Amino acid sequence: MTANQTPPTRVESARARVRELMAPRESGVFLALVIFFVVMYTVSPIFRRPFNLTTILRQISVTSIVAMGQTLVIVSGAFDLSQGSIAGLAAMVTAKLWKNAGLDPPIAIIGGLGVGVLCGFLNGVLAARFRLHPIVMTLATGAVFLGVNFYITRGESIIGLPDGLTWLGKGLIGPVPALIVLMFIVAFLMHILLTRTLFGLRVRMIGGNLKASQDVGMNVERIRVGIFTLSGFLSALGGIVLLGRVGNALPQIGQGLLFPVVTAAIVGGTLLTGGVGSMAGTLIGAAIMGIARNSLVVLQLNIYLQDIVQGMLVVVALLIDQFRRGELNWRIILGRDR
Amino acid sequence: MSIEHAVEMRGISKRFGTVQALNGVDLELRRGELLGLVGDNAAGKSTLMKTLYGSVIPDAGEIFIEGQKAALRNPRDAQALGLAMIYQDLAVFNNLDVAANVFTGREYTRRVLGITFLDKKRMYNESEALLSRLRINISSPKLLVERMSGGQRQMVAVARAIGFDATILIMDEPTAALGVKEANTLLDLMSELRDQGISIILITHRISDVLSIGDRVMVLKGGERQGVLNVEDSTLEDVEYLIVRGRPDGSG
Repeated sequence: MTANQTPPTRVESARARVRELMAPRESGVFLALVIFFVVMYTVSPIFRRPFNLTTILRQISVTSIVAMGQTLVIVSGAFDLSQGSIAGLAAMVTAKLWKNAGLDPPIAIIGGLGVGVLCGFLNGVLAARFRLHPIVMTLATGAVFLGVNFYITRGESIIGLPDGLTWLGKGLIGPVPALIVLMFIVAFLMHILLTRTLFGLRVRMIGGNLKASQDVGMNVERIRVGIFTLSGFLSALGGIVLLGRVGNALPQIGQGLLFPVVTAAIVGGTLLTGGVGSMAGTLIGAAIMGIARNSLVVLQLNIYLQDIVQGMLVVVALLIDQFRRGELNWRIILGRDR
Repeated sequence: MSIEHAVEMRGISKRFGTVQALNGVDLELRRGELLGLVGDNAAGKSTLMKTLYGSVIPDAGEIFIEGQKAALRNPRDAQALGLAMIYQDLAVFNNLDVAANVFTGREYTRRVLGITFLDKKRMYNESEALLSRLRINISSPKLLVERMSGGQRQMVAVARAIGFDATILIMDEPTAALGVKEANTLLDLMSELRDQGISIILITHRISDVLSIGDRVMVLKGGERQGVLNVEDSTLEDVEYLIVRGRPDGSG
């Protein structure tokens, strides 16, 4: 190549690096998180207790792990509404493999993860090969997975789980709860996958411009299947961690997981139309929700405000996004856009 | 067939239903020249170029690329022979950066532990070199395409085509949606590319564009070739006359 280009100076590349890190999408939500945190830290003595801060992290870990999978799916331009049901089914299969099949906890966990992979693979094949619309399709398969869960458990809980099954949710690594470590490991690996690998680039490509992706000649089907399979795996992992957090295996485990998961991704700046989103953003989104929920507790407000706050957060995030993409402005809102 | 021609099309005909879109059209693109292709709407310009690019299969006629007879069944065949076509609706990825767009479909990768990682550094370096070789004024290959202007997006598409070792570039109305300044920058780029040995066919409604940077201009009307003029000894009126009235003596 030509030699007449000037290489960027160290300062320039450092600046570029900072710009890259503070890419506006994440920096906006990150700023919101920091402000929120600082305000709560100043206002509430209970909030700033180390135990409380750890509690927040523990509370957002399962949501975050599953939301990493959802982020990948949304970036590719699809949705996975079956995540909660996969989490529940995987958790119950894990518990049953230990209780009824007498398997060792680690083997049972691998079995549960396998179920998640299988469910995700099925979603992927239905979306990619059979070209079914992911929203309705995963809503349907989610119903099937939930049905299978209740069919095999007859709706009965399994109590008295051994430490081996609950360690992921309850255990400690040194002074740090294992699930917090797990959350950061998953976030790191998924970040690498999305930003540094060919697979991650392909995900962003098919979410950004499907037609152009097909023209390039990439195997869109295989990438889709991979995305849903990974989403299934992370849902199962989340479900198994929940097993430990709850302490018992309840068939309804994982229900109610979907909304916080989607919220984390959206608040974190993942574009619903696909192509844009980051794992860091999703983690920040989950943290904002975690602090919002915790604030209600430490400020001794009615905890039932939680759903209202969460729902409003999503609406606000969607509005901000519309503004950013130029789809919405004050003229439109005020009805003067004629 | 003459080797001085990058492209030679002979007797290309194409009928869509009852419409004879092309009727025995010949075209010669000399190596390293910029040929303007002009004519009214429905004159057959885009159809002719689509047959060259393999996205429309002609009913009759032959196509020679670099002197070799070419069987073009789809754009991929054409790309393999060094052709690239840049459409008005660009196939760029707005959500990705410049380098990712330039290297779409042939990314540099490294395999570590069975995982295919992107060699981002190499792609940034090479796309930066490519941009500077083409004298394309885009500040960084890390720039997101969605933050760029229409003209800059066109240039990314051009860089991508050249990066794919295209030697023959077909551009369909590249300046139609651009402002004057941007259009001029793009025209500068096209003459720069021509000077670097790329053969270019430019479809356009703006005849003045062709007269300012082109070598020859070919006029189509009603699916038939009306004539080819040397830019040097032609005026705007000469070209417009051909577009409106057709060839004066009834011969090619």
